[in-house]
Amino acid sequence: MTCFSRSRYLLLASVVGMGVSMGGMAKAIPPVLQPEQSDVASLPPMGDHSVLVATGEQSFTLYDGDKGRILGTLPADMVDNIAIAPDRKDIYVAVTMWSRGDHGTREDFLRDYDAHTLDLTHEIELPPRGLAVFKQQNLELSQDGHWAFVFDMSPATGVTVVDLHEHKAARTVDIPGCALVFPWAHDGFSTICGDGSLTNVALAGSNVNVTHSKPFFDANRDPVFEQSQVDRKTGKALFISYTGQVYPVTLGATPVMGKTWSLQVAAGQPAAGMGQQEQAWRPGGDQPFAWHEADNKLYVLMHVGGYWTHKQEGTEVWVYDITTQHLLQRIDLPSPAKGITVSPDTANPQIYAMLASKKMAILSATTGQVEKTVEAKASGISIVPQP
Amino acid sequence: MKPSFLEQIGEQLTRKLASSSSRRGVLGRVGTAMVAGGVFPLLPVQRARAAAGNVAARAADVTTLSDFERRAQSSDPTKCNYWRHCAIDGVLCGCCGGGIHTCPPGTQPSPVSWIGTCRNPDDGRSYVIAYRDCCGRTTCTTSSDCECNTADREMPIYRPQTSNDIIWCFGTTSAAYHCSTAAIVGQAE
Repeated sequence: MTCFSRSRYLLLASVVGMGVSMGGMAKAIPPVLQPEQSDVASLPPMGDHSVLVATGEQSFTLYDGDKGRILGTLPADMVDNIAIAPDRKDIYVAVTMWSRGDHGTREDFLRDYDAHTLDLTHEIELPPRGLAVFKQQNLELSQDGHWAFVFDMSPATGVTVVDLHEHKAARTVDIPGCALVFPWAHDGFSTICGDGSLTNVALAGSNVNVTHSKPFFDANRDPVFEQSQVDRKTGKALFISYTGQVYPVTLGATPVMGKTWSLQVAAGQPAAGMGQQEQAWRPGGDQPFAWHEADNKLYVLMHVGGYWTHKQEGTEVWVYDITTQHLLQRIDLPSPAKGITVSPDTANPQIYAMLASKKMAILSATTGQVEKTVEAKASGISIVPQP
Repeated sequence: MKPSFLEQIGEQLTRKLASSSSRRGVLGRVGTAMVAGGVFPLLPVQRARAAAGNVAARAADVTTLSDFERRAQSSDPTKCNYWRHCAIDGVLCGCCGGGIHTCPPGTQPSPVSWIGTCRNPDDGRSYVIAYRDCCGRTTCTTSSDCECNTADREMPIYRPQTSNDIIWCFGTTSAAYHCSTAAIVGQAE
Protein backbone atom coordinates (compact mmCIF):
# COMPACT_ATOMS: atom_id res chain seq x y z
CA MET A 1 0.00 0.00 0.00
CA THR A 2 2.86 2.33 0.69
CA CYS A 3 3.80 2.28 -2.96
CA PHE A 4 0.37 3.42 -4.10
CA SER A 5 -0.68 7.02 -3.87
CA ARG A 6 -4.22 7.47 -2.59
CA SER A 7 -5.43 8.88 -5.92
CA ARG A 8 -4.11 5.96 -7.95
CA TYR A 9 -5.77 3.49 -5.58
CA LEU A 10 -9.14 5.19 -5.96
CA LEU A 11 -8.80 5.16 -9.75
CA LEU A 12 -8.01 1.48 -9.80
CA ALA A 13 -10.90 0.68 -7.48
CA SER A 14 -13.36 2.62 -9.64
CA VAL A 15 -12.22 0.84 -12.86
CA VAL A 16 -12.66 -2.56 -11.23
CA GLY A 17 -16.04 -1.53 -9.92
CA MET A 18 -17.17 -0.43 -13.38
CA GLY A 19 -16.08 -3.73 -14.86
CA VAL A 20 -18.08 -5.69 -12.33
CA SER A 21 -21.17 -3.57 -12.76
CA MET A 22 -21.00 -3.71 -16.59
CA GLY A 23 -20.49 -7.51 -16.45
CA GLY A 24 -23.45 -7.75 -14.12
CA MET A 25 -25.63 -5.96 -16.61
CA ALA A 26 -24.66 -8.35 -19.44
CA LYS A 27 -24.90 -11.64 -17.56
CA ALA A 28 -26.29 -12.91 -14.27
CA ILE A 29 -23.79 -14.07 -11.70
CA PRO A 30 -23.55 -17.87 -12.02
CA PRO A 31 -24.45 -19.94 -8.97
CA VAL A 32 -21.65 -21.17 -6.77
CA LEU A 33 -20.50 -24.71 -7.78
CA GLN A 34 -21.66 -27.29 -5.25
CA PRO A 35 -19.39 -29.83 -3.54
CA GLU A 36 -19.41 -33.29 -5.11
CA GLN A 37 -19.42 -36.84 -3.78
CA SER A 38 -16.77 -39.15 -5.26
CA ASP A 39 -18.29 -42.31 -6.65
CA VAL A 40 -17.40 -45.25 -8.88
CA ALA A 41 -18.82 -46.07 -12.29
CA SER A 42 -20.31 -49.45 -13.05
CA LEU A 43 -21.03 -51.05 -16.39
CA PRO A 44 -24.26 -52.01 -18.11
CA PRO A 45 -24.60 -55.64 -19.22
CA MET A 46 -21.79 -56.36 -21.67
CA GLY A 47 -23.04 -55.53 -25.14
CA ASP A 48 -22.10 -57.11 -28.45
CA HIS A 49 -19.91 -54.14 -29.32
CA SER A 50 -17.55 -54.61 -26.37
CA VAL A 51 -13.90 -55.46 -26.97
CA LEU A 52 -11.10 -56.17 -24.49
CA VAL A 53 -7.77 -55.03 -25.92
CA ALA A 54 -4.29 -55.99 -24.66
CA THR A 55 -2.78 -52.56 -24.09
CA GLY A 56 0.66 -51.33 -23.12
CA GLU A 57 1.78 -54.81 -21.95
CA GLN A 58 0.28 -53.98 -18.54
CA SER A 59 -3.45 -54.13 -18.91
CA PHE A 60 -6.52 -55.14 -20.82
CA THR A 61 -8.70 -52.19 -21.68
CA LEU A 62 -12.42 -52.63 -22.21
CA TYR A 63 -13.79 -50.49 -25.04
CA ASP A 64 -17.24 -49.52 -26.21
CA GLY A 65 -16.92 -50.21 -29.93
CA ASP A 66 -19.72 -47.84 -30.90
CA LYS A 67 -18.27 -44.82 -29.14
CA GLY A 68 -14.62 -45.82 -29.33
CA ARG A 69 -14.34 -45.01 -25.63
CA ILE A 70 -12.79 -46.79 -22.68
CA LEU A 71 -15.24 -48.42 -20.27
CA GLY A 72 -12.71 -49.80 -17.78
CA THR A 73 -9.37 -51.52 -17.23
CA LEU A 74 -8.18 -54.88 -15.94
CA PRO A 75 -4.57 -55.42 -14.87
CA ALA A 76 -2.65 -58.00 -16.92
CA ASP A 77 1.01 -58.29 -17.88
CA MET A 78 2.07 -59.38 -21.33
CA VAL A 79 2.13 -63.05 -20.32
CA ASP A 80 -1.24 -63.06 -18.58
CA ASN A 81 -4.26 -64.55 -20.29
CA ILE A 82 -7.84 -63.36 -20.30
CA ALA A 83 -11.25 -64.82 -21.08
CA ILE A 84 -14.86 -63.62 -20.94
CA ALA A 85 -17.43 -66.01 -19.41
CA PRO A 86 -19.99 -67.30 -21.92
CA ASP A 87 -22.77 -65.52 -19.96
CA ARG A 88 -20.65 -62.32 -19.96
CA LYS A 89 -20.97 -61.92 -16.19
CA ASP A 90 -17.34 -62.65 -15.33
CA ILE A 91 -13.94 -61.91 -16.80
CA TYR A 92 -11.07 -64.23 -15.90
CA VAL A 93 -7.36 -63.39 -15.94
CA ALA A 94 -4.67 -66.07 -15.49
CA VAL A 95 -1.74 -64.40 -13.76
CA THR A 96 1.85 -65.25 -12.85
CA MET A 97 3.75 -62.90 -10.58
CA TRP A 98 6.63 -62.82 -8.15
CA SER A 99 6.22 -61.48 -4.62
CA ARG A 100 9.03 -58.96 -5.10
CA GLY A 101 8.54 -57.92 -8.69
CA ASP A 102 11.17 -59.77 -10.70
CA HIS A 103 12.07 -62.26 -7.95
CA GLY A 104 10.73 -63.78 -4.76
CA THR A 105 7.94 -66.31 -4.40
CA ARG A 106 6.21 -67.26 -7.62
CA GLU A 107 2.44 -67.18 -7.54
CA ASP A 108 0.10 -68.45 -10.23
CA PHE A 109 -3.58 -67.79 -9.91
CA LEU A 110 -6.78 -67.17 -11.81
CA ARG A 111 -8.50 -63.89 -11.07
CA ASP A 112 -12.26 -63.64 -11.34
CA TYR A 113 -13.63 -60.15 -12.02
CA ASP A 114 -17.28 -59.14 -11.92
CA ALA A 115 -18.04 -57.86 -15.42
CA HIS A 116 -20.57 -55.33 -14.06
CA THR A 117 -18.32 -53.63 -11.50
CA LEU A 118 -14.87 -54.93 -12.59
CA ASP A 119 -14.39 -55.80 -8.89
CA LEU A 120 -12.07 -58.71 -8.11
CA THR A 121 -14.32 -61.38 -6.62
CA HIS A 122 -12.06 -64.47 -6.37
CA GLU A 123 -8.46 -65.51 -6.78
CA ILE A 124 -7.98 -69.21 -7.48
CA GLU A 125 -4.53 -70.75 -6.84
CA LEU A 126 -2.97 -72.51 -9.83
CA PRO A 127 0.07 -74.75 -10.31
CA PRO A 128 2.86 -73.10 -12.36
CA ARG A 129 1.47 -72.36 -15.77
CA GLY A 130 2.87 -71.70 -19.21
CA LEU A 131 4.39 -68.34 -19.87
CA ALA A 132 4.19 -67.27 -23.45
CA VAL A 133 3.02 -64.23 -25.27
CA PHE A 134 -0.72 -64.13 -24.69
CA LYS A 135 -2.91 -66.14 -26.97
CA GLN A 136 -6.55 -66.85 -26.41
CA GLN A 137 -5.78 -70.56 -26.82
CA ASN A 138 -3.73 -70.53 -23.57
CA LEU A 139 -6.87 -69.98 -21.48
CA GLU A 140 -10.28 -71.28 -22.49
CA LEU A 141 -13.61 -71.82 -20.76
CA SER A 142 -16.15 -74.59 -21.14
CA GLN A 143 -19.33 -73.46 -22.82
CA ASP A 144 -21.39 -74.05 -19.65
CA GLY A 145 -19.07 -71.74 -17.71
CA HIS A 146 -18.18 -74.50 -15.23
CA TRP A 147 -14.54 -75.09 -16.16
CA ALA A 148 -11.51 -73.05 -17.08
CA PHE A 149 -8.69 -74.77 -18.97
CA VAL A 150 -5.26 -73.23 -18.35
CA PHE A 151 -2.35 -74.33 -20.53
CA ASP A 152 0.81 -75.02 -18.48
CA MET A 153 4.43 -75.28 -19.60
CA SER A 154 7.24 -75.96 -17.16
CA PRO A 155 8.61 -76.85 -19.84
CA ALA A 156 6.66 -80.14 -19.68
CA THR A 157 3.17 -79.37 -20.89
CA GLY A 158 -0.18 -79.85 -19.21
CA VAL A 159 -3.62 -78.32 -18.80
CA THR A 160 -4.99 -77.33 -15.39
CA VAL A 161 -8.72 -77.80 -15.14
CA VAL A 162 -10.26 -75.21 -12.82
CA ASP A 163 -13.70 -75.61 -11.27
CA LEU A 164 -15.16 -72.10 -11.55
CA HIS A 165 -18.19 -73.05 -9.43
CA GLU A 166 -16.03 -74.27 -6.55
CA HIS A 167 -13.31 -71.68 -7.18
CA LYS A 168 -10.47 -74.17 -7.08
CA ALA A 169 -8.14 -76.08 -9.39
CA ALA A 170 -9.60 -79.54 -9.92
CA ARG A 171 -6.66 -81.31 -11.54
CA THR A 172 -3.85 -81.05 -14.04
CA VAL A 173 -3.78 -83.26 -17.12
CA ASP A 174 -0.38 -83.98 -18.67
CA ILE A 175 -0.32 -83.52 -22.44
CA PRO A 176 3.28 -84.45 -23.36
CA GLY A 177 4.31 -83.15 -26.76
CA CYS A 178 1.12 -81.12 -27.14
CA ALA A 179 -0.01 -77.57 -26.40
CA LEU A 180 -2.90 -75.09 -26.25
CA VAL A 181 -6.60 -75.66 -25.58
CA PHE A 182 -9.54 -76.02 -27.98
CA PRO A 183 -12.72 -76.68 -25.99
CA TRP A 184 -15.39 -79.14 -27.07
CA ALA A 185 -19.09 -78.36 -27.05
CA HIS A 186 -19.38 -80.43 -23.85
CA ASP A 187 -17.04 -81.79 -21.18
CA GLY A 188 -13.66 -81.80 -22.76
CA PHE A 189 -10.98 -80.20 -24.88
CA SER A 190 -8.36 -81.05 -27.48
CA THR A 191 -4.77 -79.95 -27.81
CA ILE A 192 -2.46 -79.79 -30.85
CA CYS A 193 0.54 -82.11 -30.84
CA GLY A 194 3.96 -81.87 -32.43
CA ASP A 195 3.34 -84.76 -34.81
CA GLY A 196 0.29 -83.10 -36.37
CA SER A 197 -2.28 -84.98 -34.30
CA LEU A 198 -4.69 -84.04 -31.51
CA THR A 199 -4.72 -85.22 -27.92
CA ASN A 200 -8.29 -85.27 -26.64
CA VAL A 201 -9.24 -85.00 -22.97
CA ALA A 202 -12.75 -86.00 -21.91
CA LEU A 203 -13.84 -84.85 -18.47
CA ALA A 204 -15.73 -87.54 -16.57
CA GLY A 205 -16.42 -86.29 -13.09
CA SER A 206 -13.10 -86.14 -11.29
CA ASN A 207 -11.51 -88.46 -13.87
CA VAL A 208 -10.38 -87.83 -17.41
CA ASN A 209 -10.16 -90.06 -20.45
CA VAL A 210 -7.37 -89.22 -22.89
CA THR A 211 -7.38 -90.26 -26.54
CA HIS A 212 -5.10 -89.50 -29.45
CA SER A 213 -6.03 -88.88 -33.06
CA LYS A 214 -3.95 -89.76 -36.08
CA PRO A 215 -1.87 -86.94 -37.57
CA PHE A 216 -4.01 -84.85 -39.91
CA PHE A 217 -1.60 -82.08 -40.92
CA ASP A 218 2.11 -81.91 -41.77
CA ALA A 219 3.63 -80.38 -38.63
CA ASN A 220 7.13 -80.52 -40.08
CA ARG A 221 6.43 -78.58 -43.24
CA ASP A 222 3.14 -76.71 -42.95
CA PRO A 223 2.03 -76.41 -39.29
CA VAL A 224 -1.36 -75.08 -38.27
CA PHE A 225 -1.54 -71.73 -36.49
CA GLU A 226 -1.75 -71.65 -32.71
CA GLN A 227 -4.52 -69.10 -33.23
CA SER A 228 -6.74 -71.61 -35.07
CA GLN A 229 -10.40 -71.16 -34.26
CA VAL A 230 -13.11 -73.13 -32.48
CA ASP A 231 -16.85 -72.53 -32.26
CA ARG A 232 -17.31 -73.22 -28.56
CA LYS A 233 -21.03 -73.93 -28.90
CA THR A 234 -20.58 -76.72 -31.43
CA GLY A 235 -17.01 -77.83 -30.75
CA LYS A 236 -16.20 -77.43 -34.43
CA ALA A 237 -12.68 -76.23 -35.07
CA LEU A 238 -10.93 -74.74 -38.08
CA PHE A 239 -7.22 -75.51 -37.94
CA ILE A 240 -5.50 -73.25 -40.46
CA SER A 241 -1.95 -73.83 -41.67
CA TYR A 242 0.82 -71.37 -42.50
CA THR A 243 0.09 -71.78 -46.22
CA GLY A 244 -3.65 -71.30 -45.74
CA GLN A 245 -4.94 -74.87 -45.72
CA VAL A 246 -8.09 -75.11 -43.59
CA TYR A 247 -8.69 -78.38 -41.70
CA PRO A 248 -12.25 -78.54 -40.32
CA VAL A 249 -12.47 -80.88 -37.32
CA THR A 250 -15.39 -81.64 -35.03
CA LEU A 251 -13.68 -82.03 -31.68
CA GLY A 252 -14.41 -84.84 -29.26
CA ALA A 253 -12.95 -88.07 -27.90
CA THR A 254 -12.84 -89.25 -31.51
CA PRO A 255 -12.41 -86.12 -33.62
CA VAL A 256 -14.13 -86.12 -36.99
CA MET A 257 -12.02 -84.63 -39.76
CA GLY A 258 -13.78 -82.71 -42.50
CA LYS A 259 -12.66 -81.94 -46.03
CA THR A 260 -9.59 -79.70 -46.24
CA TRP A 261 -9.90 -76.46 -48.22
CA SER A 262 -7.59 -73.61 -49.16
CA LEU A 263 -8.00 -69.92 -48.35
CA GLN A 264 -6.42 -69.05 -51.69
CA VAL A 265 -8.36 -71.52 -53.84
CA ALA A 266 -11.57 -70.32 -52.18
CA ALA A 267 -10.57 -66.87 -53.47
CA GLY A 268 -10.00 -68.09 -57.02
CA GLN A 269 -6.22 -68.14 -56.65
CA PRO A 270 -3.64 -70.94 -56.76
CA ALA A 271 -2.99 -72.64 -53.43
CA ALA A 272 0.01 -71.04 -51.72
CA GLY A 273 3.17 -73.13 -51.49
CA MET A 274 6.15 -73.27 -49.18
CA GLY A 275 8.70 -71.36 -51.24
CA GLN A 276 10.37 -68.54 -49.35
CA GLN A 277 10.09 -66.36 -52.43
CA GLU A 278 6.75 -67.77 -53.54
CA GLN A 279 4.70 -64.60 -53.28
CA ALA A 280 1.05 -65.18 -52.45
CA TRP A 281 -1.70 -63.84 -50.25
CA ARG A 282 -1.18 -65.56 -46.90
CA PRO A 283 -2.65 -65.41 -43.39
CA GLY A 284 -0.46 -63.83 -40.73
CA GLY A 285 -0.06 -61.68 -37.64
CA ASP A 286 -0.43 -62.10 -33.89
CA GLN A 287 -4.12 -62.89 -34.15
CA PRO A 288 -4.96 -63.54 -37.80
CA PHE A 289 -8.41 -65.17 -37.49
CA ALA A 290 -11.89 -64.44 -36.21
CA TRP A 291 -14.85 -66.80 -36.58
CA HIS A 292 -18.22 -65.04 -36.69
CA GLU A 293 -20.24 -67.97 -35.52
CA ALA A 294 -23.78 -66.64 -36.10
CA ASP A 295 -23.05 -65.83 -39.75
CA ASN A 296 -20.61 -68.75 -40.09
CA LYS A 297 -18.03 -66.43 -41.61
CA LEU A 298 -14.27 -66.59 -41.20
CA TYR A 299 -12.37 -63.29 -41.12
CA VAL A 300 -8.69 -63.61 -42.02
CA LEU A 301 -5.89 -61.06 -41.82
CA MET A 302 -4.02 -61.43 -45.14
CA HIS A 303 -0.76 -60.10 -46.57
CA VAL A 304 1.37 -60.77 -49.63
CA GLY A 305 4.56 -62.64 -48.88
CA GLY A 306 6.53 -65.85 -49.10
CA TYR A 307 6.55 -68.78 -46.71
CA TRP A 308 7.64 -68.04 -43.09
CA THR A 309 5.76 -64.73 -43.10
CA HIS A 310 3.16 -66.13 -40.71
CA LYS A 311 3.80 -63.31 -38.22
CA GLN A 312 3.66 -60.51 -40.77
CA GLU A 313 0.96 -57.86 -40.36
CA GLY A 314 -2.02 -58.03 -42.69
CA THR A 315 -3.06 -55.33 -45.13
CA GLU A 316 -6.52 -56.72 -45.86
CA VAL A 317 -9.24 -58.71 -44.14
CA TRP A 318 -10.68 -61.49 -46.26
CA VAL A 319 -14.14 -62.73 -45.34
CA TYR A 320 -15.14 -66.32 -46.15
CA ASP A 321 -18.43 -68.15 -46.11
CA ILE A 322 -17.38 -71.26 -44.20
CA THR A 323 -20.39 -73.26 -45.39
CA THR A 324 -19.71 -72.78 -49.09
CA GLN A 325 -15.96 -72.17 -48.64
CA HIS A 326 -15.97 -69.11 -50.86
CA LEU A 327 -14.48 -65.67 -50.48
CA LEU A 328 -17.26 -63.13 -49.92
CA GLN A 329 -15.43 -59.87 -49.36
CA ARG A 330 -12.01 -58.23 -49.26
CA ILE A 331 -11.67 -55.29 -46.88
CA ASP A 332 -8.79 -52.83 -47.15
CA LEU A 333 -7.32 -51.81 -43.81
CA PRO A 334 -6.22 -48.21 -43.25
CA SER A 335 -2.76 -49.50 -42.36
CA PRO A 336 -1.24 -52.94 -41.59
CA ALA A 337 -2.77 -54.76 -38.63
CA LYS A 338 -1.29 -57.30 -36.20
CA GLY A 339 -4.56 -58.81 -35.09
CA ILE A 340 -8.31 -58.76 -35.60
CA THR A 341 -11.46 -59.81 -33.86
CA VAL A 342 -15.11 -59.41 -34.85
CA SER A 343 -18.15 -58.56 -32.72
CA PRO A 344 -20.64 -61.43 -32.39
CA ASP A 345 -23.82 -59.62 -33.54
CA THR A 346 -25.44 -60.07 -36.93
CA ALA A 347 -27.15 -56.66 -37.19
CA ASN A 348 -24.10 -54.45 -37.44
CA PRO A 349 -20.95 -56.47 -36.81
CA GLN A 350 -17.72 -54.60 -36.25
CA ILE A 351 -14.14 -55.55 -37.03
CA TYR A 352 -11.62 -54.50 -34.40
CA ALA A 353 -8.23 -54.24 -36.09
CA MET A 354 -5.14 -53.78 -33.90
CA LEU A 355 -2.84 -51.78 -36.14
CA ALA A 356 0.95 -51.98 -36.17
CA SER A 357 0.86 -48.29 -35.20
CA LYS A 358 -0.79 -49.44 -31.91
CA LYS A 359 -4.04 -47.72 -32.86
CA MET A 360 -7.27 -49.67 -32.97
CA ALA A 361 -9.36 -49.25 -36.11
CA ILE A 362 -13.05 -50.06 -35.72
CA LEU A 363 -14.59 -50.99 -39.08
CA SER A 364 -18.05 -51.95 -40.20
CA ALA A 365 -17.83 -55.62 -41.15
CA THR A 366 -20.68 -55.02 -43.57
CA THR A 367 -19.31 -52.09 -45.54
CA GLY A 368 -15.63 -52.29 -44.65
CA GLN A 369 -15.64 -48.58 -43.78
CA VAL A 370 -13.62 -47.30 -40.83
CA GLU A 371 -16.04 -46.08 -38.14
CA LYS A 372 -13.54 -45.05 -35.47
CA THR A 373 -9.80 -44.93 -34.96
CA VAL A 374 -8.64 -45.04 -31.35
CA GLU A 375 -5.22 -44.23 -29.86
CA ALA A 376 -5.36 -47.46 -27.89
CA LYS A 377 -1.65 -48.34 -27.40
CA ALA A 378 -2.81 -51.78 -28.50
CA SER A 379 -0.76 -54.93 -28.93
CA GLY A 380 -2.11 -57.42 -31.46
CA ILE A 381 -4.45 -59.28 -29.14
CA SER A 382 -8.08 -58.60 -28.33
CA ILE A 383 -11.14 -60.62 -27.35
CA VAL A 384 -14.89 -60.13 -27.67
CA PRO A 385 -17.84 -61.76 -25.87
CA GLN A 386 -19.48 -64.82 -27.36
CA PRO A 387 -22.85 -64.59 -29.15
CA MET B 1 18.50 -98.52 -42.56
CA LYS B 2 18.17 -96.85 -45.93
CA PRO B 3 21.38 -94.97 -46.88
CA SER B 4 21.07 -91.19 -46.99
CA PHE B 5 21.25 -89.21 -50.21
CA LEU B 6 24.82 -88.12 -49.44
CA GLU B 7 25.84 -91.69 -48.66
CA GLN B 8 24.40 -92.84 -51.97
CA ILE B 9 26.23 -90.10 -53.86
CA GLY B 10 29.46 -90.91 -52.03
CA GLU B 11 29.12 -94.59 -52.78
CA GLN B 12 28.42 -93.95 -56.47
CA LEU B 13 31.45 -91.67 -56.76
CA THR B 14 33.69 -94.20 -55.05
CA ARG B 15 32.51 -97.02 -57.26
CA LYS B 16 32.97 -94.90 -60.40
CA LEU B 17 36.45 -93.87 -59.34
CA ALA B 18 37.41 -97.42 -58.52
CA SER B 19 36.14 -98.76 -61.83
CA SER B 20 37.88 -96.14 -63.95
CA SER B 21 41.30 -95.94 -62.31
CA SER B 22 43.87 -98.03 -60.57
CA ARG B 23 44.61 -97.28 -56.92
CA ARG B 24 48.23 -96.48 -57.75
CA GLY B 25 47.20 -94.11 -60.54
CA VAL B 26 44.93 -92.17 -58.19
CA LEU B 27 47.65 -91.90 -55.59
CA GLY B 28 50.06 -90.72 -58.25
CA ARG B 29 47.74 -87.94 -59.41
CA VAL B 30 47.01 -86.82 -55.86
CA GLY B 31 50.75 -86.79 -55.13
CA THR B 32 51.43 -84.66 -58.21
CA ALA B 33 48.80 -82.16 -57.13
CA MET B 34 50.28 -81.96 -53.63
CA VAL B 35 53.78 -81.33 -54.98
CA ALA B 36 52.53 -78.78 -57.48
CA GLY B 37 50.70 -77.02 -54.73
CA GLY B 38 53.92 -76.76 -52.79
CA VAL B 39 55.96 -75.50 -55.72
CA PHE B 40 53.41 -72.91 -56.85
CA PRO B 41 51.79 -71.55 -53.71
CA LEU B 42 48.36 -70.06 -54.37
CA LEU B 43 48.47 -66.29 -54.56
CA PRO B 44 46.16 -64.29 -52.24
CA VAL B 45 44.15 -63.13 -55.24
CA GLN B 46 43.56 -66.69 -56.30
CA ARG B 47 42.52 -67.62 -52.77
CA ALA B 48 40.11 -64.69 -52.63
CA ARG B 49 38.66 -65.71 -55.97
CA ALA B 50 38.27 -69.24 -54.77
CA ALA B 51 36.54 -68.04 -51.61
CA ALA B 52 34.28 -65.75 -53.61
CA GLY B 53 33.49 -68.66 -55.87
CA ASN B 54 32.45 -70.75 -52.88
CA VAL B 55 30.18 -67.99 -51.54
CA ALA B 56 28.79 -67.46 -55.04
CA ALA B 57 28.09 -71.15 -55.29
CA ARG B 58 26.28 -71.07 -51.96
CA ALA B 59 24.47 -67.89 -52.95
CA ALA B 60 23.40 -69.33 -56.28
CA ASP B 61 20.02 -70.10 -54.77
CA VAL B 62 19.37 -66.43 -54.00
CA THR B 63 15.95 -66.72 -55.58
CA THR B 64 14.93 -69.08 -52.82
CA LEU B 65 16.30 -67.08 -49.89
CA SER B 66 13.82 -65.57 -47.48
CA ASP B 67 13.42 -61.80 -47.42
CA PHE B 68 15.28 -61.76 -44.11
CA GLU B 69 18.18 -63.70 -45.61
CA ARG B 70 18.37 -61.44 -48.67
CA ARG B 71 18.62 -58.33 -46.47
CA ALA B 72 20.68 -59.72 -43.58
CA GLN B 73 23.88 -57.93 -42.56
CA SER B 74 26.87 -59.17 -40.56
CA SER B 75 28.34 -55.97 -39.12
CA ASP B 76 25.93 -54.72 -36.44
CA PRO B 77 24.56 -57.29 -33.96
CA THR B 78 22.38 -54.63 -32.29
CA LYS B 79 20.04 -54.51 -35.26
CA CYS B 80 17.12 -56.79 -36.00
CA ASN B 81 18.49 -57.55 -39.49
CA TYR B 82 21.77 -58.98 -38.12
CA TRP B 83 21.99 -62.41 -39.73
CA ARG B 84 21.71 -64.43 -36.50
CA HIS B 85 18.36 -62.80 -35.72
CA CYS B 86 16.41 -64.69 -38.39
CA ALA B 87 13.98 -66.18 -35.85
CA ILE B 88 14.22 -64.00 -32.75
CA ASP B 89 11.33 -62.55 -30.80
CA GLY B 90 12.31 -60.13 -28.10
CA VAL B 91 14.67 -57.38 -27.05
CA LEU B 92 18.31 -57.67 -28.13
CA CYS B 93 20.61 -58.04 -25.10
CA GLY B 94 23.32 -56.11 -26.99
CA CYS B 95 21.09 -53.05 -26.58
CA CYS B 96 20.73 -53.66 -22.83
CA GLY B 97 24.28 -53.88 -21.49
CA GLY B 98 24.94 -57.40 -22.73
CA GLY B 99 26.02 -58.79 -26.07
CA ILE B 100 25.22 -61.27 -28.80
CA HIS B 101 25.90 -64.18 -26.40
CA THR B 102 26.19 -62.21 -23.14
CA CYS B 103 23.48 -61.46 -20.60
CA PRO B 104 23.39 -57.94 -19.11
CA PRO B 105 24.63 -57.48 -15.51
CA GLY B 106 22.29 -58.80 -12.85
CA THR B 107 20.43 -61.18 -15.14
CA GLN B 108 20.62 -64.94 -15.58
CA PRO B 109 20.87 -66.90 -18.82
CA SER B 110 18.16 -69.52 -19.21
CA PRO B 111 19.71 -73.00 -19.37
CA VAL B 112 17.29 -73.95 -22.15
CA SER B 113 16.34 -72.07 -25.28
CA TRP B 114 14.66 -72.21 -28.62
CA ILE B 115 16.79 -72.47 -31.73
CA GLY B 116 16.85 -71.07 -35.21
CA THR B 117 18.77 -71.89 -38.35
CA CYS B 118 20.20 -68.74 -39.91
CA ARG B 119 22.32 -68.10 -42.98
CA ASN B 120 25.54 -66.11 -42.61
CA PRO B 121 25.82 -63.82 -45.64
CA ASP B 122 29.64 -63.75 -45.32
CA ASP B 123 30.20 -67.43 -45.92
CA GLY B 124 26.82 -68.57 -47.23
CA ARG B 125 26.64 -71.25 -44.53
CA SER B 126 23.71 -71.92 -42.25
CA TYR B 127 24.26 -72.08 -38.51
CA VAL B 128 22.15 -73.30 -35.62
CA ILE B 129 21.52 -70.36 -33.30
CA ALA B 130 20.47 -70.73 -29.64
CA TYR B 131 18.23 -67.84 -28.63
CA ARG B 132 18.87 -67.87 -24.90
CA ASP B 133 16.73 -65.51 -22.90
CA CYS B 134 18.27 -63.53 -20.04
CA CYS B 135 15.94 -63.62 -17.08
CA GLY B 136 15.33 -62.42 -13.55
CA ARG B 137 14.89 -58.71 -14.27
CA THR B 138 12.03 -56.75 -15.65
CA THR B 139 12.05 -56.34 -19.41
CA CYS B 140 14.85 -54.17 -20.76
CA THR B 141 13.58 -50.77 -21.83
CA THR B 142 15.50 -49.66 -24.90
CA SER B 143 15.11 -48.40 -28.43
CA SER B 144 12.25 -49.90 -30.39
CA ASP B 145 14.87 -50.67 -33.06
CA CYS B 146 16.12 -53.36 -30.66
CA GLU B 147 12.71 -55.04 -30.32
CA CYS B 148 12.71 -57.74 -32.98
CA ASN B 149 10.23 -60.31 -34.19
CA THR B 150 11.37 -62.47 -37.08
CA ALA B 151 10.12 -65.88 -38.04
CA ASP B 152 12.25 -67.83 -40.52
CA ARG B 153 11.51 -71.51 -39.80
CA GLU B 154 9.68 -70.48 -36.62
CA MET B 155 7.10 -73.01 -35.47
CA PRO B 156 4.07 -73.02 -33.16
CA ILE B 157 4.31 -73.71 -29.45
CA TYR B 158 3.49 -77.39 -29.94
CA ARG B 159 6.96 -77.55 -31.55
CA PRO B 160 8.57 -75.67 -28.66
CA GLN B 161 12.23 -76.05 -29.64
CA THR B 162 11.70 -73.71 -32.57
CA SER B 163 8.91 -71.56 -31.13
CA ASN B 164 9.88 -68.00 -30.22
CA ASP B 165 6.72 -66.79 -28.45
CA ILE B 166 7.57 -68.77 -25.31
CA ILE B 167 9.23 -67.03 -22.35
CA TRP B 168 12.28 -69.28 -22.20
CA CYS B 169 13.11 -68.61 -18.55
CA PHE B 170 12.89 -72.14 -17.19
CA GLY B 171 15.29 -73.03 -14.37
CA THR B 172 16.19 -69.44 -13.51
CA THR B 173 15.46 -67.65 -10.24
CA SER B 174 12.35 -66.13 -11.73
CA ALA B 175 10.76 -66.30 -15.16
CA ALA B 176 10.82 -62.52 -15.51
CA TYR B 177 11.98 -61.88 -19.09
CA HIS B 178 14.71 -59.30 -19.69
CA CYS B 179 16.20 -59.79 -23.19
CA SER B 180 17.36 -62.37 -25.74
CA THR B 181 20.78 -63.44 -27.04
CA ALA B 182 21.72 -65.30 -30.22
CA ALA B 183 24.68 -67.64 -29.67
CA ILE B 184 26.10 -69.87 -32.40
CA VAL B 185 25.72 -73.55 -31.57
CA GLY B 186 27.36 -74.88 -34.71
CA GLN B 187 27.05 -75.23 -38.43
CA ALA B 188 23.72 -76.60 -39.56
CA GLU B 189 23.89 -79.92 -41.37
